[in-house]
Amino acid sequence: MTLVRDKHIAFDGIGKRFADGTQALDGVTFNVRRGAFCVLLGPSGSGKSTLLRAVNGLTSPSQGEVRIDGQPITAQSLPSVRRRVSMIHQHFGLVDRASVAENMIGGALAAIPTWRALSGLYPLPFKRKACDLLATVGLEPDHLRRPAGALSGGQRQRVGIARALMLDPEIIIADEPVASLDPKVSRDTLNLLRQAAQARGVTVLCSLHQVDLALEFADQIVALRQGRIVHDGPPAALSGSAVARFYDASLQPMESRA
Amino acid sequence: MTSAVSSSVPRAQKTWTYPPLIRPQTLLIALALLGFLLATGRDVEMGRMVRMTGEAIWATAGGKVDSQVARGLGRIGPSLFPLQMSERQEISRIEGFDRSHLPWLSHLEVVETPIQVLNPDTLRMESRPERVEYLVKPLGYLGHVAVKLWETLEIALWGTVLAILLSAPLAFFSAANLTPSRIAYVAARGTVSFLRAIPELVSALFLVLAYGFGPIAGVLALALHAAGFLGKFYAEDIENADPKPQEALVAIGANRLKVLRFAILPQVLPQYIAYTLYVLDRNFRMATVIGLVGAGGIGQELKGRFDMYNYHHVGTILAGIFLAVFVIDQFAARLRRRFL
Repeated sequence: MTLVRDKHIAFDGIGKRFADGTQALDGVTFNVRRGAFCVLLGPSGSGKSTLLRAVNGLTSPSQGEVRIDGQPITAQSLPSVRRRVSMIHQHFGLVDRASVAENMIGGALAAIPTWRALSGLYPLPFKRKACDLLATVGLEPDHLRRPAGALSGGQRQRVGIARALMLDPEIIIADEPVASLDPKVSRDTLNLLRQAAQARGVTVLCSLHQVDLALEFADQIVALRQGRIVHDGPPAALSGSAVARFYDASLQPMESRA
Repeated sequence: MTSAVSSSVPRAQKTWTYPPLIRPQTLLIALALLGFLLATGRDVEMGRMVRMTGEAIWATAGGKVDSQVARGLGRIGPSLFPLQMSERQEISRIEGFDRSHLPWLSHLEVVETPIQVLNPDTLRMESRPERVEYLVKPLGYLGHVAVKLWETLEIALWGTVLAILLSAPLAFFSAANLTPSRIAYVAARGTVSFLRAIPELVSALFLVLAYGFGPIAGVLALALHAAGFLGKFYAEDIENADPKPQEALVAIGANRLKVLRFAILPQVLPQYIAYTLYVLDRNFRMATVIGLVGAGGIGQELKGRFDMYNYHHVGTILAGIFLAVFVIDQFAARLRRRFL
């Protein structure tokens, strides 16, 4: 019993072949513990995004299945899965022209009746929650009315994190959440995400391509290369290993290090 | 050794050349297009058009040449001026006319015309002056035109309002990324094309038969055509909207309508406002045209005056239409600046 509950997300032999014949994932099997901060590490094209998107059904794997609390993700279970799993995006996934307030309500749409969503008569608890969460991620009240596009990259991703918390998710999947941010803001953003998740007991599955950030923030690192797992374990097991050297070497030109 | 050299030679021959301005294919296409334009241009008598226009310009500039165009325009142009401002009415035809309370700015005018009357005593025709009293409003016709222009604007406005209401569902179903089914998509696209294919003037002709003379036919004719136009453009903007925010909302369980409202609408709204303002502007201009077939507004007045050879009145109407179009354009430009 505890064993099953411990495996919050289970990837079981996930394979994905796209229509053009690209094998994006091949036999990916690993488990993520409840409340863990699991980093998917790998260069571009290693299959991180595809794997993440299998968790909330944005892509469906060609082989294997993803289970949340032992329940496989199917077309029937997808609506309830999407209510419990929220997502943070590389390009923030915000509507730049809409206000921060509207974007925040966007995070609770699954729980708001359609007529209320369309008429703008959002339930009060959600409006209050939007304000509270924005305060938690360190934004100011006057940000509410501003269009999301007017915020800085770091602020936008804070809105992205706050939005992901609107429905008290069990799981947050973050697809390269800091890829379009500078190194300092990246670190702050990941800190915020980690703290917010820990405070609420949320399991985070986060893809990154920076080894140093993965080592710093992860409880568990799953390293992918060309759709296969090359490492699965705590950060300590990765540091100093050949895998870390491989990633560091391969990523050296992309990093903005002196 | 030799094989390595020979394999590296063709590679070295791949040089960097900046793409030229015109490629042979482009030149061929341009020539074909030119030939096509020349052939079609001859069919629509573009050569004669240029010659006649040239003659007209030459004649106007004082050249010794007989220009049919210059003569024609020379006859019509001046006949529009002076613009008709005033309006006069026989007071004997005004019901309950009160001489002590004349309308604002108006005055009375007496016109004496000699008329031939049969004298019953002598049985001869006699010339006798007849006094006819007129009530003259110096700016009366201007006011009349203003009222008709306002009516035209109302027709255009309602044509636009109905067009928006009609095109919103059409756009939803004819946007490939929102439509619930292939059948709905094809049906909506078909409807949109059909509506756009029928010119306002033609549908107005039929609608006047159905609804009778007056603004209803005008409003509906404008709305139907504009709905086809707006439906197409709204749908294309929906299809071209940035998919990332949409996916973000789908990922957390939002349905189609919610995605439309939260991820698409904010993105496309400025463009929608621009299209809608264009349609309002176009509807106003078309409203003047469909008035010609009796669908209300200034066009109906224009047609009447034109048929009665009242060219001074026509001049006033044309000037009024121009002024109104200009004002609407300024207003639209101001709104666009606010939203874009």
